[in-house]
Amino acid sequence: MSTTAIDTHGEMHGKGGVLAWMKRWITTTNHKDIGTLYLLFACLMFFVGGGMALVIRAELFQPGLQFINPHFFNQMTTVHALIMVFGMIMPAFAGFANWMIPLQIGAPDMALPRLNNWSFWLLPFATTLLLLTLFLPGGGPASGWTMYPPLVMQTGDAFPFLVFAVHLLGVSSILAAINVIVTIMNLRAPGMSLLKMPMFVWTWLITAYLLLLAMPVLAGGVTMLLTDQFFGSSFFEAAGGGDPVMFQHIFWFFGHPEVYIIILPAFGIISEVIPTFSRKPLFGYAAMVYATASIAFLSLIVWAHHMFTVGMPLGGQLFFMLTTMMIAIPTAVKVFNWTATMWKGELTFETPMLYALAFLFLFTLGGFSGLMLAIVPADIQYHDSYFVVAHFHYVLVPGAVFAAFAGAYYWLPKWTGVMYDERLGKLHFWLTAIFVNVTFFPQHFLGLAGMPRRIPDYAPQFADFNMISSVGAFGMGFAQLIFVWVVIKAARGRGEPATGQVWEGGTTLEWTVPSPAPHHTFDEPPVIK
Amino acid sequence: MSVRAVQGDAGRARRIKRSAWGLAALAVAFYLGFIAWSVLLGFG
Repeated sequence: MSTTAIDTHGEMHGKGGVLAWMKRWITTTNHKDIGTLYLLFACLMFFVGGGMALVIRAELFQPGLQFINPHFFNQMTTVHALIMVFGMIMPAFAGFANWMIPLQIGAPDMALPRLNNWSFWLLPFATTLLLLTLFLPGGGPASGWTMYPPLVMQTGDAFPFLVFAVHLLGVSSILAAINVIVTIMNLRAPGMSLLKMPMFVWTWLITAYLLLLAMPVLAGGVTMLLTDQFFGSSFFEAAGGGDPVMFQHIFWFFGHPEVYIIILPAFGIISEVIPTFSRKPLFGYAAMVYATASIAFLSLIVWAHHMFTVGMPLGGQLFFMLTTMMIAIPTAVKVFNWTATMWKGELTFETPMLYALAFLFLFTLGGFSGLMLAIVPADIQYHDSYFVVAHFHYVLVPGAVFAAFAGAYYWLPKWTGVMYDERLGKLHFWLTAIFVNVTFFPQHFLGLAGMPRRIPDYAPQFADFNMISSVGAFGMGFAQLIFVWVVIKAARGRGEPATGQVWEGGTTLEWTVPSPAPHHTFDEPPVIK
Repeated sequence: MSVRAVQGDAGRARRIKRSAWGLAALAVAFYLGFIAWSVLLGFG
């Protein structure tokens, strides 16, 4: 198969009608198709989880209970988080990994193509299972995404479905991580040593190892919840000699690496976009690799900063405070290096670059509130308040999600063969960037003023900032429809045809193949000088 | 493109499969290990 001619045999499979089209998408082992499936699934889940967020913000618009009862509110906060973490942001980055890792290392596909297919198709089943629990008589899970016992034991009929859904989501991620590691270690083009790989590939390699170490721990934790509920064990039940706090340790031993699993691929995308639009190589490539590895290592020894109020001994509190503050150092190295990349560069501000710049500033803001939370005596006040909610939404939304948007706009011409509508892209960016701050910045003040999290009603002194936050949330929500329109337009070929190079400053291997990328690329590996 | 063509020669295909199974074993070991450790600590 030629890598220079446009190869449309992927589309040719559809000539048998609807059944053949379905067979193609269900049984595909092509990394581009699977990447597309992951990305479209993530987009759908973005609106499902986002809809839940709008239910939450509608209820919180004013004090009092207007629209929903407290139990349903708790289901919304729980399932919103589970969907956004496991159903949206992780599959989105898995989609980027599938599309771009083989292209960036000069490989014909992922090393285990059939496993790749299974990794994806587990996701719709798992999330359907989770979402259907909302329709059970007792409702869906309502204990928070952290599933702490003993509260989670009151979940009711939804409990075993929640555990099974979490298991399936975890298996999907573990299998995808195995595929990523094995692909990167075995299928790099001749001449591409590890220290010549693009940063996006590096960040995914490190993320995949973190996934392998963290996801099984979550699986173990929820298995123990299951045995406590149904098989008479008492891992977390004080009456039987167990300890609910042990679940918190197990959960956060997974949970903290999990947030780095989310953000490291985002860092990788930023490390691709900023050099391209600065027309300069990434500053300090080796330092960026070592910083990423340091962040990954440190993420394994900070977990109890989520638990400073459980009654931990002082020595433990000090240890976790210090390691948490240390993680700011390699993160700062990355922020400085991205900035240095832009220094004296020939900058242009297309939509991917706008998202990358917004990421740089706003993720750093989120990091600053994280540093505040790391300080134990301060965290005693901040813990379980809206300050925490503001912190993690800043690192997740203008952090991870903005990086995903940057990557989507950056690679959309490669995927679709046409330049997306730049005017609409910029409109999407500005509306999203403004409204995300309107939504989440006031939440810092709410937390500092003492508003607890996970509450459907609040004291009147919190009303004004809650109203502002809710207005921002609705603005942000509706602004995402512009993104859908941009993607649909590009997918239907309505736009200026894109060249293979697309971006003047692009230097990685994906820019050497035509746009749209042929169904099969690099059947013969390129030689890297 | 066939899976064999993606994985290249037989030697590389063997290495790929061996490392995939090894990583899977690592994940399973972590899963069982955390549960076993909790039991050994006196819980369960």
